[in-house]
Amino acid sequence: MTVHNAFGPVDIAVSGMRAQGRHMEVISSNIANSRTADAGQGQPYRRLEVIFRTEQEGVSPVCIDQIVPDQSALQRIYDPGNPKADASGHIILPNVHVPVEMMNLSTASRSYQANAAILKRYQKMVETTLELLR
Amino acid sequence: MVNFDPNLRWGAQAPAAFGGPGALPHVASPTAPASGTGTAKPDFLSAIEAAGKYVSKVDDLQQASDASIQDLLTGKNNDITAVVSAVAKADVSFKVLVGVRNKLIEAYKQTMNMPL
Repeated sequence: MTVHNAFGPVDIAVSGMRAQGRHMEVISSNIANSRTADAGQGQPYRRLEVIFRTEQEGVSPVCIDQIVPDQSALQRIYDPGNPKADASGHIILPNVHVPVEMMNLSTASRSYQANAAILKRYQKMVETTLELLR
Repeated sequence: MVNFDPNLRWGAQAPAAFGGPGALPHVASPTAPASGTGTAKPDFLSAIEAAGKYVSKVDDLQQASDASIQDLLTGKNNDITAVVSAVAKADVSFKVLVGVRNKLIEAYKQTMNMPL
């Protein structure tokens, strides 16, 4: 992707919007599965984390490098009435912490807004330039 | 700091990507009297030709934006940001074209209204 042209800012801002949209998708998955004790193979859901990277060196659009599971400790909660509880009455729940996800959600949505603002401002800039033609 | 290139590169490249002749009848029409009056007009003519060649590029972008809207509405593509990108590009390039066209027509009219 060439960046040194008039559409560079458009492409970069749109790539940011797309990446943040994907980030929001991952956050929604984390929140929806914050109590999922079985995410296949009998294992509890593990919180997913997005890793961003640039598409090239220097001025570049952003893209998603990978989505990796968070390997931090799963929650162990005392719930003897649960059919999935072990001998000591504990169940294992995902390592999703909803307040953390809400913070990530705010970051993602603000970042999305910022990219949209860049797009809008750049269009205004081009219009200002074209005003000079008149 | 982003090194913003003020020279609209895709505008400058337009002459290289010459599509077909007669792509812009409403801009090309002033060339007929202009080229008939003598050989002192090649500059204005080439400016109009460059604008005519730019039309095909603008048309490509418009077609791409139409196609992306169609894909979104028919459910072939769920990526609304791609539509935003295509529409923004088509919008900007069309505005550039209209601005240049207006300027060329204005220049032609001023020249034609010159008392001789």
